[in-house]
Amino acid sequence: MTIKTLDISPVGRVEGDLDVRVDIEDGRVVNAWTHAELFRGFEIILRGKDPQAGLIVTPRICGICGGSHLTSASWALDTLWGTEVPRNAILARNLGQIVETIQSIPRYFYGLFAIDLTNKKYRRSRHYEEACRRFAAYTGKSYEIGVTISAKPVEIYALLGGQWPHSSYMVPGGVMCAPTLTDITRAWAILEYFRTNWLEPVWLGCSLERYEQIHTYDDFMDWLDEDRNHRESDLGFYWRMGLDIGLDRYGAGVGKYVTWGYLAHEDKYQKPTMEGRNAAMIMKGGVYDSFSDTHSLMDQSFLRENTTHSWYDEGTADIHPSDRTTKPTANNTKDFENAYSWSSAVLHKDFGRLEAGPLARQLVAGGNHGESWQHHDGFILDVFKQMGGASVHVRQLARVHELVKLYRQAEHCLREFKLNDPWYIKPTERDGKGWGATEAARGALSHWVEVEGGKIKNYQVIAPGTWNIGPRDGEGKRGPIEEALIGTPIYDSSDPVEVGHVARAFDSCLVCTVHAHDAKTGEELARFRTA
Amino acid sequence: MTNVLWLQGGACSGNTMSFLNAEEPTVCDLIADFGIKVLWHPSLGLEMGNDLQTLLWDCVSGKIPLDILVFEGSVVNAPNGTGEWNRFADRTMKDWLTDLSQAAKFIVAVGDCATWGGIPAMSPNPSESQGLQFLKRQEGGFLGKDFVSKAGLPVINIPGCPAHPDWITQILVAIATGRIADIALDELHRPQTFFNTYTQTGCTRNVHFAYKASTGEFGQRKGCLFYDLGCRGPMTHSSCNRILWNRVSSKTRVGMPCLGCTEPEFPFFDLQPGTVFKTQTVMGVPKELPPGVKQKDYAVLTMVAKDAAPAWAEEDFFTV
Ligand code: SF4
Ligand code: SF4
Repeated sequence: MTIKTLDISPVGRVEGDLDVRVDIEDGRVVNAWTHAELFRGFEIILRGKDPQAGLIVTPRICGICGGSHLTSASWALDTLWGTEVPRNAILARNLGQIVETIQSIPRYFYGLFAIDLTNKKYRRSRHYEEACRRFAAYTGKSYEIGVTISAKPVEIYALLGGQWPHSSYMVPGGVMCAPTLTDITRAWAILEYFRTNWLEPVWLGCSLERYEQIHTYDDFMDWLDEDRNHRESDLGFYWRMGLDIGLDRYGAGVGKYVTWGYLAHEDKYQKPTMEGRNAAMIMKGGVYDSFSDTHSLMDQSFLRENTTHSWYDEGTADIHPSDRTTKPTANNTKDFENAYSWSSAVLHKDFGRLEAGPLARQLVAGGNHGESWQHHDGFILDVFKQMGGASVHVRQLARVHELVKLYRQAEHCLREFKLNDPWYIKPTERDGKGWGATEAARGALSHWVEVEGGKIKNYQVIAPGTWNIGPRDGEGKRGPIEEALIGTPIYDSSDPVEVGHVARAFDSCLVCTVHAHDAKTGEELARFRTA
Repeated sequence: MTNVLWLQGGACSGNTMSFLNAEEPTVCDLIADFGIKVLWHPSLGLEMGNDLQTLLWDCVSGKIPLDILVFEGSVVNAPNGTGEWNRFADRTMKDWLTDLSQAAKFIVAVGDCATWGGIPAMSPNPSESQGLQFLKRQEGGFLGKDFVSKAGLPVINIPGCPAHPDWITQILVAIATGRIADIALDELHRPQTFFNTYTQTGCTRNVHFAYKASTGEFGQRKGCLFYDLGCRGPMTHSSCNRILWNRVSSKTRVGMPCLGCTEPEFPFFDLQPGTVFKTQTVMGVPKELPPGVKQKDYAVLTMVAKDAAPAWAEEDFFTV
């Protein structure tokens, strides 16, 4: 009967700072509030600046997925200026984004998530000692190799953009680089190194080809049983331990999912438009509603934002993000009846609150909507159904499942570059509105830009964190992480590791969230608290 | 054992990501081989909530000796100097910084935000951000002009957006191995070992610079980025072309103009319309010349260089 309120500040290891308040009753979370506690005001900063300022400023919204911000920023200007983007440039942008995401997978898994498996709470698990041996911070065998090797894929980014993080090599009309043969062959060698030193031996315990034969939950179970190397790989071990400690039993969330789709097709998006984007992505976009088991297409015009529970003086109506004015309120006292976060609530006009992120991408990848040539993969959708919906565990599998697919897409880019063809076509600047979107490693990201009189009139960003970390909406409905926390068992309220599991399973980039806030009201950095 | 506490203010985590790319030493080597103990870090630390708050208070009280405080991100003072727009571990980050800076032996600011205020402090600076000891080129910043940490040094500034991983790890190793006396700081508190030379030093486009052969637009394999695309390599103190990024390259090597991110003025001209990726010129002559070069001499040099330029200077130099 007694409700205990727990404030966790910060949760940590969530790519930024997150504060969460949870009400606990009988050892379970019964209510939750997520707070973003940093405001920097990037949207305010961008007003009145050069139209291309977003290429320099927005990657700095988030150093973790800066390449994704750069991608969105360039496509936004492309649609605004009506550019032509040569196929080499599309491939070079895709490759940059792919390697940023490939980098993020081991860095996220070992650095942010798996460390918690060594928490003392799990010492009675039969997997505990092995978990410590592998995942202990800095010294764990897998931690060390995983965190170190995560630096490799972004060397390919540097071959295109000069450095990672924070290059601005993608520009409207193409890219700044014109890689040479050596750059390409070197990139191949880096990919190979990543595969033969970690991806196959440590992570999968099998070849990429063998892993690619997994299409269903049953296939995965067969794979696990088939060989000791599969079971004992980090993926196999994580899967078994996660089940043992019950990560499949909480963290469900809102049950509806969104992805913008990503990786523009090198021949189908050379004349980019806002309307034509859906039909030109290799990884298709869409919404998956798990209650009706239906897939539908996504469109930026379906988006709404609500700031009723956010620290902005912008009213309580649902408005389209591009209509936001970003007016931070000076008094950001936490008031759980009213405003308590710099994040806003993002909504779909028909579906309401949606979860963004790797799970969303994979559930949408299993749909039969979209174009026939677009990537289709039903594995995670099947796991989701077989296991009765979302959980920390399923979200985690979805997070790492993309590795092999992206690896293949990276090979595709390297194969398709035509070194003597153009990388850039100089565009003509003009006023108007543009929109660019992509998928950062951790979910749906989009930028809206409006240019008037040769300078930015309005710039708005909705980052993955905005979708997931958002507070209650105008109707008082909880955001995705808030909702996912409901029902979470808390074993020891002085060390609520389970709250951390749920938050980190979203891999939410709070740095982004802050940016997202920024997108709405200017730049913000948010600290996330559990309270 | 050298205790390191790493905190982030108005940050994007870019310096952390850069730090994780380090090699020789890697982040794990730093801990295993150099006795560096990371007390806590936003992306790597184990503690959360109350446990972390306790740890931070123990650093403040001296119960846990704080050898190095690393700060990433700007100091957020909004609204109205209260710092409430950036709260962390149940207080404003500002308050933590005030207390921790008194306890720390060394303070290292990584990245432009922590050094000069960076992008958040760009006009109109909605978050009232500043760097630890500077706001842009102006000395003072959050801690004040005369601040020195317990070891007697001002804040060691490692600028860059982000800072190069080697710039960070090598300074940490230098402190941990007792070589701090060898670290000479310039007037902006940057370790000279990294910031005495220009970005241009080691740039593969240097010969094109010499012959005034320009990269006219993006996506080319020839020319220098100074004449049309706004490269700040000749005017920027950094070792980006000496100590390569991600071990393989640099912006100027791939054809991206240097943005001058290690200087307090970054982003230059506040990204006003017409200033992004475009050289600012007066009657065809770049407004800003490499330090020490006189306009008149430059004009003579240009004539001579153009006359002397071999044919290949205008050709695709870095061929497929
Ligand atoms: S590209 Fe930039 S750094 Fe390289 S030579 Fe030219 S001006 Fe110097
Ligand atoms: S090349 Fe210039 S902009 Fe790039 S990291 Fe170095 S100093 Fe900064």
